[in-house]
Amino acid sequence: MRKSSTSRAMKIVALFSILVLIAACTGGDTSDSTSPGGTEAPGATEAPGGTEAPGDTEPPDDGGQVSNPDVFVHGADDEATTVDPAQVESGEGGETIITQVYERLIEISPEGPDLVPGLAAEVPTDDNGLISEDGLTFTFPIREGVVFHDGTDLTADDVKYSWDRVLTMDLPEGNAGLLADIVASSEVVDDFTFAVTLQRPSASFLNSVVTASVASIVSQDAVEANGGVAAGEVNQFMTANAVGTGPYELTTWNRGENFQLSVFEDYWGEPANVDVRIDIVPDPDVRILGLRAGDYDMIEVDPSLVPDLEGAEGIVIYAGEYLLEPIHIGFNYRFEDGSLPPEDTIGPEFFLDPRIRQAFNYTFNYQAFIDGALGGLGAPIPHYFPQGMLGFSEDYPVYEQDLAMAEQLFRDAGVWDEGFTVSVIAEGGNLFETAALVLRDSMAQLNPAFDIRVLALAEAQFDEAHASDPVPYALWVKNSDPFADPDALMQAYIHPDGEWGEVHGMRDAYQDPDTIASIIEEAGTELDVDTRVALYAELAPMLFEDPMWVIAGNETALNAHRSWVEGFIMNPLWPRPGVKFALFDK
Amino acid sequence: MQIRDYLIRRLMILPILLIGVSLIVFTLSRVGGSPVGIYLSHEMTPDEVAEIEERFGLDQPLPMQYLAWAGGVLRGDLGWSGVSVAPVTQVFPDKLAATMELSVAAAIVAVTLGIGLGTFAGARRDRLPDHLTRIFSVSGASMPVFWFGILLLIVFWVYLGWFPTGRSDATVYASIAHPTGLYTVDSLMAGNLAAFWDAIWHLVLPAITLGFGTTAIITRMMRSSLVEELGEDYVEAARAKGLPERLVMKRHARRNALIPTITVIGLSFGFLLQGTVVVEIIFQWPGLGRWLADAVLRGDQATIMAYVLFTSVLFLTVNLVVDIVYAYLDRRVVLGA
Repeated sequence: MRKSSTSRAMKIVALFSILVLIAACTGGDTSDSTSPGGTEAPGATEAPGGTEAPGDTEPPDDGGQVSNPDVFVHGADDEATTVDPAQVESGEGGETIITQVYERLIEISPEGPDLVPGLAAEVPTDDNGLISEDGLTFTFPIREGVVFHDGTDLTADDVKYSWDRVLTMDLPEGNAGLLADIVASSEVVDDFTFAVTLQRPSASFLNSVVTASVASIVSQDAVEANGGVAAGEVNQFMTANAVGTGPYELTTWNRGENFQLSVFEDYWGEPANVDVRIDIVPDPDVRILGLRAGDYDMIEVDPSLVPDLEGAEGIVIYAGEYLLEPIHIGFNYRFEDGSLPPEDTIGPEFFLDPRIRQAFNYTFNYQAFIDGALGGLGAPIPHYFPQGMLGFSEDYPVYEQDLAMAEQLFRDAGVWDEGFTVSVIAEGGNLFETAALVLRDSMAQLNPAFDIRVLALAEAQFDEAHASDPVPYALWVKNSDPFADPDALMQAYIHPDGEWGEVHGMRDAYQDPDTIASIIEEAGTELDVDTRVALYAELAPMLFEDPMWVIAGNETALNAHRSWVEGFIMNPLWPRPGVKFALFDK
Repeated sequence: MQIRDYLIRRLMILPILLIGVSLIVFTLSRVGGSPVGIYLSHEMTPDEVAEIEERFGLDQPLPMQYLAWAGGVLRGDLGWSGVSVAPVTQVFPDKLAATMELSVAAAIVAVTLGIGLGTFAGARRDRLPDHLTRIFSVSGASMPVFWFGILLLIVFWVYLGWFPTGRSDATVYASIAHPTGLYTVDSLMAGNLAAFWDAIWHLVLPAITLGFGTTAIITRMMRSSLVEELGEDYVEAARAKGLPERLVMKRHARRNALIPTITVIGLSFGFLLQGTVVVEIIFQWPGLGRWLADAVLRGDQATIMAYVLFTSVLFLTVNLVVDIVYAYLDRRVVLGA
């Protein structure tokens, strides 16, 4: 008896010792990038625009055992705050769910920016007569035989109800403005025809508005049975439940744990293959371990995690197109003396001088940021056209670090000898903070008298500071919203009187704000694509000479998944994480 | 003072203490700024922020905000949890149950393993098993919980595939009702053995991780107490009477050695609750610790306040109960003195 007890205890101790030894041996193999198991090597993305097409990157299956064959498990890095299309904001975790369970009238195709019919049977064009001659009225023939997850039939009434609902609720955290800014009126022509009249011709209406999450079609019956619509009020039912027409039904939302999506058996189109579970896994180490363990079929990754996955057997690291949300450093043109942190020595006129802004752009070490923080999975971009967006051209001028030029500009502006101190805020612990640190080091390298104070804030603090009017800091780092059309991007970030132009005071900073504004407005209403591109080509050099931002770089769309995932395809134009699970199998 | 009078006096003081604690925490939680940030995104304009502030009453003066929160508490409304996107009262019971289940499991691991190993080592003082156990307990006391947890995950999740993360298999979990929120208890109540094993299976790694440090403390305490007891005269007397060593150990030495160890076990339960923050994050355990950490990082004041209110009530109640129990057990204790 005693001997037996001794033996058990010794086994426990021995097991622990083995555990420690095994753990000691586990550290090295993750950084081995020589044998990526047939995966596309990160960094294989070449010159801007030269990325491999999605779908070209599938490696041969390594023969690993498929875990959980009946459910596709995605490890997400963030919890959603809502699954209501009227409440969700661009880039928020809820868009991951909305993309799968709701549908829009038209959708962006898997392969690229082309539009394909969604709940509308046809994409309106001039040729098919569904766009009026004046370009103001768009007619959408609604697909027949579509049912919602609650079993009710889709009609044009549901479409109008869905859009009107967004406009009535007009929630500050939502994206109602996208519709309100362009839609003049809408009408139900008949049960299966819906027409929209715009306030003005818009080149981006179909690409940016109709395909957006906010334009998703909800079940009128479900909403009316669960609180209806009230101006300015959140619908608690719709915040937590989804009644759409998509290939998946939202069956469970265990807050902080997971979402469970079931294949919708009555889906009108090609049905999904397997159920989906989206686990909320904020800790990146756990996401990586879960992928390696095979419990997750796919995880959200950023460039800093790639080295931990390189060489792992059975794991595909996908580096596809570029994202449409470049990381930028913003200048504040509109603050009062004394409103900045006490350490800051600059005055309100500082960034109004274009030489200062140019000098900042020439000082930033883009290559260090892209090679270091982005692990080579990124590229610089011209002001302000991300790769892959209409209007982008490799011929546009792009800032590169040129310290001699920067010194000359700072000297011309009269700040070289005296130097300055200025604070930059960024959300801590991510690429934004890293960009701020690169700016600090670049400036210090140029001139030790240039002192950039990096203030890394919690996300909530940053959001509050950035949403202040005026912003109480002179510099900040963030990324842009992922817009699918250049007009939305220009209106938000470049137009002197646009959303941020107004808040940050860009009109006072531009040398020729009226010309900038008129080109943006003309390009936004021009329906001929070639003419639009020509207008943006005219705009790009002006934005280079008179930069409103420092654009640190643009990330590559990244994804890591098991090699047993079939049919993988990723499109950065889709809301995060840029995938539609219904296309996958395992 | 009579226990009844003492109880009434303490119960009358309780709300005052709670108001004091809540005031302090409410004020401190505002040092970092308004909690509106948790409802915002990078892209919100000042007008949109103003609307959000109005919706959550954050446009009111601070004292009014506190009164609104306190009024809500009296009505059973603890506010809106920004991190859980739901009313606090709706989320809290499930989180509490998850944490309690994990803590109790960790305590079971720590107590059984700690007492067993302590006894084992104490009975073999200065021999190889004692030295190995010492290595084990020093490791447990010094090893960072997050590192040990990751280590277990690498071995038993990634390489061996024996144990998962999370609290349950989603399908199995959904197959039973959850009247108590304690998965193990609910599965037994439902008579669903598959669910019970699922619960145990998911508990193993986080419970070992959480209990490891406490196991080490209990092991050391038990070992040293036992060594001390084994040197006492009564043990020698028992041996002299011809009692088998097994009975000397079991009936005499170990029983007495357990007394100081149990005191340590009681104190260690608080240590286990603190450790849940890290363990719940690593193992994707949906409990109070992970919830609080998320709330603190994102400035979710309603969640922080609810947690503090709960722990304050718990702490004050436990103190009260302990005082009364002391008075019952030892008549020399004078309540209210």
